[in-house]
Amino acid sequence: MRFSALTYAVILLCSSIGLVSVSRGQSYEVTSTGDPTAPEFGVIGFGEISYISKDASNQDGFVIGQAVAHLRASLGNSLSVFGEFTATGKDSEYSFEVERMIVKYDFSDSFKLSAGRYHTPIGYWNSAFHHGSWLQTTTSRPEMVKFGSKLVPIHFVGVLLEGNIPVTNLGLVYRAGYGNGRHANIARAGDAGDINGDKAWMLQFNSRPKKFYGLEFGIGYYNDEVELETDPNVKESTFSAHAAWTKESPEIIIEYLHSNHESVLDSSDEGDVNAWYAQFAYRLKGDHDDWKPYLRFENQEIDLTDPLLGSEGLDHEAGILGVRWDFNPWAALKAEYRNEEFNNGPRENNFRLQVSFVLAKL
Amino acid sequence: MTMNRATPINERSVGFRRLCVCLTALMLLPFASIAQEIAASSAIAIVVHKDTEVDNLSIEDLRSVFLADQQFWRNRKRIILLVRAPQSDERDFVLNRIYQMSEAQFRQYWIGKMFRAEVPRGPKIVFSTDMTLELVVAIPGSISFMRANDVSDEVKVVRVDGKLPSEPGYPLQ
Repeated sequence: MRFSALTYAVILLCSSIGLVSVSRGQSYEVTSTGDPTAPEFGVIGFGEISYISKDASNQDGFVIGQAVAHLRASLGNSLSVFGEFTATGKDSEYSFEVERMIVKYDFSDSFKLSAGRYHTPIGYWNSAFHHGSWLQTTTSRPEMVKFGSKLVPIHFVGVLLEGNIPVTNLGLVYRAGYGNGRHANIARAGDAGDINGDKAWMLQFNSRPKKFYGLEFGIGYYNDEVELETDPNVKESTFSAHAAWTKESPEIIIEYLHSNHESVLDSSDEGDVNAWYAQFAYRLKGDHDDWKPYLRFENQEIDLTDPLLGSEGLDHEAGILGVRWDFNPWAALKAEYRNEEFNNGPRENNFRLQVSFVLAKL
Repeated sequence: MTMNRATPINERSVGFRRLCVCLTALMLLPFASIAQEIAASSAIAIVVHKDTEVDNLSIEDLRSVFLADQQFWRNRKRIILLVRAPQSDERDFVLNRIYQMSEAQFRQYWIGKMFRAEVPRGPKIVFSTDMTLELVVAIPGSISFMRANDVSDEVKVVRVDGKLPSEPGYPLQ
């Protein structure tokens, strides 16, 4: 089993490389024939290898992170298909996951309809970055949106309507989603159907003002009723807000999330979640522009009375200091020091060294 | 007292300088149109397929198109972006002035854009001015860029902020 899973991971990456070659050929072919509606396929692969040292444990060592394959197909003028697949190293095997699978029809810039499995459009990070750590500045996602997080429903299965609102120079973009909420295992999406009759819905508005190229800010709302195996169902409503300056000198990302969870049987049985992070980075200029130091602060607090998450012990604080070195156009080395406190326990010091890469052609 | 004596001399000096400047300007006047032509030839023209219903784009709207934040023309025809391959002066110019990105940032931007499923494909890469012209002529909805003096009448040149490459104040000079 382990061998076959490992083999699968290798095949996943190798196929990425192979298909990238195919993609090169097809891209040129389509360009040469000049037929923009000809089907076009492409693959992007990501991978990472980390060395992690923790002062709180003696489990220092190398970690093979996720191997990621992203497939996309453009089928004519308006229809496209995207898939994101990962193989993640576990203690005794690799786990395979269909992270995203989206079929999308673009009617216009203002009206793009899709169906499938998404990263839920809550806040900034969960929509901007996905499973390839090469794309993000840091070695890992913020704790509040980490993969497997219970704080935020990272994945969502359903339909999504999105597009530009072309009324002003504010560069407004909307996203409206409707679909299955959380699974009984609340860290997972309802992939095989909704476990209760109440569908989740979400609405997000982002702005990228044309006069302030690089700036993005937005707000969002997510609503669901979560079915628990033993306890009464819980109403979940989440508000998110973010601001990001996406140019790299500097790069600033600030995100805030507030959730309220309330038992459907007793409205006094409720609690709040407050979480935020602020990340600052600066890509050096001139001859040193392959270096990018960064800093991130994170905080998340959950009321003990919260009927969904109060007993999970998810309080967290972190200060992160690191540097990213793009030593190759397709690979980056990141060194990161982390000072963290989990569930009000003792502070931990961690050090991570990560090499991440992308297999893509542009 | 000293200042009172100095003032008329300074006035004469300034007047003489102004006269010199005017005479020099008059002498250089015949060369102005040549200078303008040189500026125009070094400008980057934005070209589209002849049937594209666009005549003018603000620099912000042009950036939206090049960033694929806008992916359709008003007639709902998909915009096909053609970008020169690395190590061409035209590409460097566009990365610097429109994208305001380095080569590495440009690459990361498009990989991210495709990875986020925001675009079904990246820009099409073209390897020469001839290839650019050929494909802009052939592909409805296409947009690209080239040196202004390489433009042929088979494609349409789009005004940027209301100006053509030959006009003073054109933003992509």
